[in-house]
Amino acid sequence: MGEAFTLAVSAVLLAGFYSAMAYGLGLIYGVLRIVNLAHGGIIMAAAYLAWQLFDRFAIDPFLAIPIALVVFFAVGVAIYLGLVRFIPRGPAGGVQSLLLLFGVWLVIRNAAYLLFSGNEQVIHTTYATSSVSLLGGSFSVTRVAVFVVALVTLLALHLLLSRTFLGRSIRAVAQNPESATLVGIDVHRVYVISFGLGTALAGLAGVLASTLFAFTPSFGASELLKSFVIIVLGGLGSVVGIALGALVLAAAEVFAVYVVPPYLTAAVGFVLLVVVLVLRPGGLFGQRVLR
Amino acid sequence: MTRWRPVAGAAAAFLALYLAPVLLPIDEYTHDIVGLTFVFMAAALAWNWVGGYVGQISFGHSAMFGVGGFVAARAMTALDLPFVLAWLAGGLIAGGYALLWGHPTLRLRGPYFSIATIGVGEATRLIATYWSDFTGGSSGVSLPLAGNPSKFELYWYGLYLLAAAVAVSYWLRVSRIGLGLLAIKEDVEAAGDLGVNPTLYQDVVLFLSGVMVGVCGGFYASYQAFIDPQDMFSFDRSIGLILMAVIGGIGTVLGPIGGAVVFVIIQEYLLANYSDLYLGLYGLLLILIILFEPQGLTGLLRRLLRLRPHRFRRERREAAT
Repeated sequence: MGEAFTLAVSAVLLAGFYSAMAYGLGLIYGVLRIVNLAHGGIIMAAAYLAWQLFDRFAIDPFLAIPIALVVFFAVGVAIYLGLVRFIPRGPAGGVQSLLLLFGVWLVIRNAAYLLFSGNEQVIHTTYATSSVSLLGGSFSVTRVAVFVVALVTLLALHLLLSRTFLGRSIRAVAQNPESATLVGIDVHRVYVISFGLGTALAGLAGVLASTLFAFTPSFGASELLKSFVIIVLGGLGSVVGIALGALVLAAAEVFAVYVVPPYLTAAVGFVLLVVVLVLRPGGLFGQRVLR
Repeated sequence: MTRWRPVAGAAAAFLALYLAPVLLPIDEYTHDIVGLTFVFMAAALAWNWVGGYVGQISFGHSAMFGVGGFVAARAMTALDLPFVLAWLAGGLIAGGYALLWGHPTLRLRGPYFSIATIGVGEATRLIATYWSDFTGGSSGVSLPLAGNPSKFELYWYGLYLLAAAVAVSYWLRVSRIGLGLLAIKEDVEAAGDLGVNPTLYQDVVLFLSGVMVGVCGGFYASYQAFIDPQDMFSFDRSIGLILMAVIGGIGTVLGPIGGAVVFVIIQEYLLANYSDLYLGLYGLLLILIILFEPQGLTGLLRRLLRLRPHRFRRERREAAT
């Protein structure tokens, strides 16, 4: 017990953040078959938005979440309508959409650099250093709050996808766009909304990240990689799969401190990705991952 | 299979470039930059073997560039190897490193492979930065003055490297292997059914690509006479290779060459003054190319060449009716 238990709780807390972060990427890939390489850039931009709101208007990052959701939903819709819409679907479009969204990422990074310089930024909330005792261990308030927000988000998403007409349309298009068209679903509209929703979720993750980590304009590369590892681990089928994938990654990272030097924990996700893809190309818990 | 026209053209271009510094009054700065550009061309072509011929976009080629550079530098400082041998050693080890991560990841297709390569690049950079016994950490490695060629001589070595890269590019395009690669690019499973072993073919191409990029890294080490891991393994370096190929036209032989020229011109003449803007500018360029001319300069050129006879024919047809 003791240390291992504390680490386990840390892993669960981290997994909450990770699943919120990965869901945006998973949603866009599931519906549009496009890997949003700008995902990390959006996360970074949202962290800067939270920082600006806090710094200029003293808006707490957790209260900034609705603002970020609206702003980045609009950003996502704009990116889809302005750029992604013109890329052909299918294997040929795969390479093009990768490079296109990679270009978007570079532009976002450069914009952040021009606006806010390359210096590291941190949000100092009044409660940043306070902690709560939980199950016998002591954990920072921020991390627990992030976990709660992530959990609520996953629940809301689950309800959206399973209980509403929009959610069912999204799932129908993800399964088969042609058949969805036949039953009267406006597929183009679903694409726009899914891209907006996925981007909004990346925005949410960025706001949450801003309370946990220091960030620079190049923040987001490892977040993109981790999100991808999670959707590969968990499959795209369900909220539960994503949560489990996040848990596996978080546990691997947290417990890696026993085995590898700290600077290599960043490589843990990658190693996990390769191992899983080679051993179980369909993901750990889902199918429908490869194509 | 080998047609004489492209071969003769390449030979003439080689001869012209070989003699140019002797016959033309070229200033030292341009001479050095052109020599370095040759090597960027060679590296972009090598990236293109994987990215263009097989359609597997790698965001992690800086890993092989860095490995090649540091192995070459260490071979020169610690083992006193002549520089050409040191570059070759760097290239071979870089190729081996490419196989090490490539063999398991190349069975992934499309975005899966690409994201894995982002991981490879990042992990390699981290390891290299912390493994300071080998890479010198943040203080880097300086090459010995004795035995290291001057930038003036390096022009011709750069040209040889480019010639080798062009030869391999052409060979990969016209040979049986090239056909196999095209088949893999179109449909991996169908290629497998036709007796093309996708794993073997892709391994071979990634190995060749790794060797070439590694040798280019060794050249770069000699050229700069000083290298540090943050620069050699940077993500920007991988981005640079992608951009050169995309600007020029993915999957062609001449494309990455033209793309490298544009890239170096942008880098040297425009961005020297606006260094804050370079990432965004490259991003914008990437977006514009993908949206309007996914085949890059090659596609643009083809379109321009095709434009005329088309219009001519249409006009004639209209005149006839």
